Amino acid sequence: MTMITRDIEIVDGLPVLYIKSLSAIACSDLHLGYEGVMADRGTFLPKMNLKKVKETVSKALEETHAERIIIDGDIKNEFSDVHVEEFNEFYDFANFLRKEHGLRHITLIKGNHDNFIERLRESLKFETYTEEGLLGDYLFFHGDALPQGKSGKTLIMGHVHPAIAIYNKLGVKEKFKAFLYGKMADGRELIVLPAMNYFAEGVSVNLEDVGVMAPVFDTMADVDMMTAYCIGEGESLNFGRVDRLRKIAFQ
Amino acid sequence: MIDYWREPFSREESLDTLNIFVRKWFESRYKELTPPQRYSLKLIKEGYNILITAPTGSGKTLSAFIGILSDLMNLSLNGKLEEKVYCIYVSPLRALNNDIHRNLSVPLEQIYDDISIDLRRITVGIRTGDTPQKDRQRMLAHPPNILITTPETLAIMINSEKFSRHLNGVKYVIIDELHELANNKRGVHLSLSIERLSNMIGHDFIRIGMGATLSPLDNAARFLAGYNGEKERDCYIVDATWDKRMDFIAVCPVPDIINERDSIIENSIYKLIDSIIKKNKTTLVFTNTRSGTERVVYNLSKRFKYSDDSIAAHHGSLSREMRLGVEDLLKKGKLRAAVSSTSLELGIDIGTIDNVVQIGSPKSVARVIQRIGRSGHSFNDIARGEVVVTNRDDLVECSVMLDAAMKRHMDTFTTPKNALDVLAQHIVGMSQNRKWNVDEAYDMIRNVYAYHELPKRDFISLLEYLSGMYVGLESRRVYAKIWYDTRENTFGRRGRLTKLIYYLNLGTIPDEVAIDVVTSANKWIGSIQEEFLSKLKPGDIFVLGGKPYRFEYSRVMKAYVSDAQGQIPTIPPWYSEQLPLTYELALEIGQFRERMAIAAGHAREKDIGTLRLLNKSRLKPNDEAREILDQMPLDENTKNSIFNYFVEQLLYTGYVPNDRFIIVERTADEEQERNLLIFHALYGRRINDALSRIFAIRIGDIYETDVAVNITDNGFVLVTELDVKIGRDDISQIISELGSTDARELLRENIRRTELMRRKFRHNAARSFMILRNYKGRKISVRKQQISSQYLLKAVEEISSEFPVLKETYREIFDDVMDLPRAEMIIRKLVNGEIKYKTIETVVPSPFSHNMITFGEADIVMMKDRRKHLRELHRQVLQQMRKLA
Repeated sequence: MTMITRDIEIVDGLPVLYIKSLSAIACSDLHLGYEGVMADRGTFLPKMNLKKVKETVSKALEETHAERIIIDGDIKNEFSDVHVEEFNEFYDFANFLRKEHGLRHITLIKGNHDNFIERLRESLKFETYTEEGLLGDYLFFHGDALPQGKSGKTLIMGHVHPAIAIYNKLGVKEKFKAFLYGKMADGRELIVLPAMNYFAEGVSVNLEDVGVMAPVFDTMADVDMMTAYCIGEGESLNFGRVDRLRKIAFQ
Repeated sequence: MIDYWREPFSREESLDTLNIFVRKWFESRYKELTPPQRYSLKLIKEGYNILITAPTGSGKTLSAFIGILSDLMNLSLNGKLEEKVYCIYVSPLRALNNDIHRNLSVPLEQIYDDISIDLRRITVGIRTGDTPQKDRQRMLAHPPNILITTPETLAIMINSEKFSRHLNGVKYVIIDELHELANNKRGVHLSLSIERLSNMIGHDFIRIGMGATLSPLDNAARFLAGYNGEKERDCYIVDATWDKRMDFIAVCPVPDIINERDSIIENSIYKLIDSIIKKNKTTLVFTNTRSGTERVVYNLSKRFKYSDDSIAAHHGSLSREMRLGVEDLLKKGKLRAAVSSTSLELGIDIGTIDNVVQIGSPKSVARVIQRIGRSGHSFNDIARGEVVVTNRDDLVECSVMLDAAMKRHMDTFTTPKNALDVLAQHIVGMSQNRKWNVDEAYDMIRNVYAYHELPKRDFISLLEYLSGMYVGLESRRVYAKIWYDTRENTFGRRGRLTKLIYYLNLGTIPDEVAIDVVTSANKWIGSIQEEFLSKLKPGDIFVLGGKPYRFEYSRVMKAYVSDAQGQIPTIPPWYSEQLPLTYELALEIGQFRERMAIAAGHAREKDIGTLRLLNKSRLKPNDEAREILDQMPLDENTKNSIFNYFVEQLLYTGYVPNDRFIIVERTADEEQERNLLIFHALYGRRINDALSRIFAIRIGDIYETDVAVNITDNGFVLVTELDVKIGRDDISQIISELGSTDARELLRENIRRTELMRRKFRHNAARSFMILRNYKGRKISVRKQQISSQYLLKAVEEISSEFPVLKETYREIFDDVMDLPRAEMIIRKLVNGEIKYKTIETVVPSPFSHNMITFGEADIVMMKDRRKHLRELHRQVLQQMRKLA
């Protein structure tokens, strides 16, 4: 486990946070049903995402003994209505959490792809937040819009699919999914979760302009001042600040 | 059985096979039969499959068609000619189709003009992807007797319910430019189509192959004729390549190409070309790249005041209109010179060419013969050509190549075997035709040369893949392209959209991905090939549209650059365009090196002293060297330069490497803070690609580091950080351990994470209908397909390492891109001592290695342990951050 704060750790090698005070794991951007949606567009991906998401969640729960899961948006993939594949995988996943792990406490923050939540919130019995949710000291929001709440010591978002591109000494580019951690202009802390989706490569925040994607980085925080924790196989390492990683990439 | 027919038939014997009107027409136009015709008329008449190789302008096309015209004319005269297709002519080159159409239509008109009776006339038609809908409709009602088409359109036709009925009576199938097909997937695709056609119509036909020479011809004939069960179909080979006399020479533009300044060499090259053009009526100049073509035309016009209508470029990037314009000018004899990369190599009709100039090595004996063979109009003329040497590496390569051509030592081709992506397409096509028994389908497929040894298991795994068994039942509705009943052992069509998928996505040519090159302000500058992009490192400088730019980074499908005015490019523009040196030629060069090294070793002390003193290469070859060089088609400058080159090499390192003696040079590049390990292994890029990675992986294992590789035809370079010093003992240890290593397994693990793997996987996934380019009537941009090829690859790996798309990607990389089988053979020889090696140390890289360091194809062999790898990167990043601070 890699500590980010006294209360928050990265479950090693996984795109998952463990928050002690909440006894919860947190993740984002699962994009369930991705393969079905892609198949509809002519790319026939093997069904892998749900399986991997389940494996990851199982590992994280076993390691942390958390009693709660917080999904920080985009549990499914399509912008528009619910695709049949998404529907099936979504229920499959819900069953998995409840039956296989006996999780009672499932929290869902609505993402920009999750327009179905309002309709299903009754039958799902998930704890759902359609804008943002204050859980203990933490303000969870998806990240496609600005957070409204003024409370919360730390803000936690997803949406950006952050990754870091590194050119090694011999000039070859590699990309790693990464957590971002830093301070916002108003003094609160901000954590950005990497995408849980198996097929999401991530956006290289040290090469590209993420302000376009996430308004937080336009007005409330400077992505360059965030610290990146890259996820490798089995461990996560602190790679330092984004602005320096940017300089290195452009050397 | 495959056999050579070596005795031509007499004129009478040949002409007697013809219908009387066809014969009359022929005799009124041609005084004599050309060599291929002296074989083909009789052999085709007797119903044999036949492979004809001959240079262009040898009446090759007519040699195949005249017998067919005669046969159809007999039917026409008897009133038995029906409205159906009798003969299918397939050419890989659409441009050739119009020529052929004209060359058949005109004679037919002339023949019929001679006959006063009103007959049903023999018809000729073209059908390609360009054919408008209304013409296709017309063809459906009135099919032509002779159908001219392309491999892709043929594949569509045999799946067209309506049109395929017209193919029931096909008696002849002609494949033209066979040498352009027998060595690639496009050709494999075609041979499956032809086999399916035969199966569909329930009878065999006469197969006629034509092309430039290739070796081994036996395999080319097998590619053409295929098998009937376990038995090879009979096929006669007629090799008329050498009946045309050829006269060629390697010319060196300056007396001392090793020490001469580049600008002077360049000037002399253009002067030389100019003088050749002025001496002849029409000259064809070949370069090895498109950019080279542009450069030569530009320089010749500027320096020697050629006007636009006396010299012209012709290559694949030019518009169709421009190319047709140039061809037309050539036919009319109006051009003094045409400059081309490969586009004029094939059989497009371009009139009379006096002389061919080849600039730089074309990397293969077959290619140099074919290019020079474009000159001399008729069979009786002599084909003439000069090969202009452009640098020191070229010097030996061109000389040995021409010597091999003179001795008819040909390089060999290989047909991709058991390509699963191509087969996947055809299985979908077959299942659209009808329901199949698995064994019956398997037997038919094995009749194709490229699949004769297809393991049954691979075939089954394709059926499983195509029937969507890799996803759950509920998803097969969308995923499956066929149904496959394992109990009944049958398969057939599935899915309402599959037919459309097949039509819109078939073929083997991958979508070329053009990467936009833009500045940081998003100003568009031009585009580069995806493959070229994958070679670029941040900081590299390359030329686009005549200006240098520095590569900064790439994002999805854009390359960001900054202006690099006045800086020297680090990446030559032809980089990914150049063809690899063939293995056979590499061996010949190795053998030549060995002989020359002995001769040069006997250079007189006094002469060597002079050489050292003057630092100039002005030695005359000694008698021993003369004996070797005088037997080769070389000019004096070339002979002198070669001799000096070898003497200097000996002086510097004491050794000249050859095919059985590899020099491993340990040296450093202080300026760039890296160690270099240079393998002087002249085996061609395909083999060196595999060899270099194998060594890099082992060194990476020992030192727990990433290793960069630079690969050329003449050898390869392993690059490590300065603190990684690879010792002499390491090398001998690695070599001895390689004896018990499975090189294929080692490489597989390494290739997995490369850009090459991702790119090839995407191509194969597209050809296997896993990623569609065109779906539900929507074109899907490569950009969209691109998004997750890395993760797609990972997902497929999790299913099974035997997943057909994955398996085919490895096969293509190991057998087509690289030449792993031969690399393994070289490793075996290194281990058992048949190939010797010697490790030497130099303060700075030896002259022999300069091109290897500068111009190689770069890649990186990464550490196996991913966890360590992340830590290693972490260490590097922190180190750089400290430097910044």
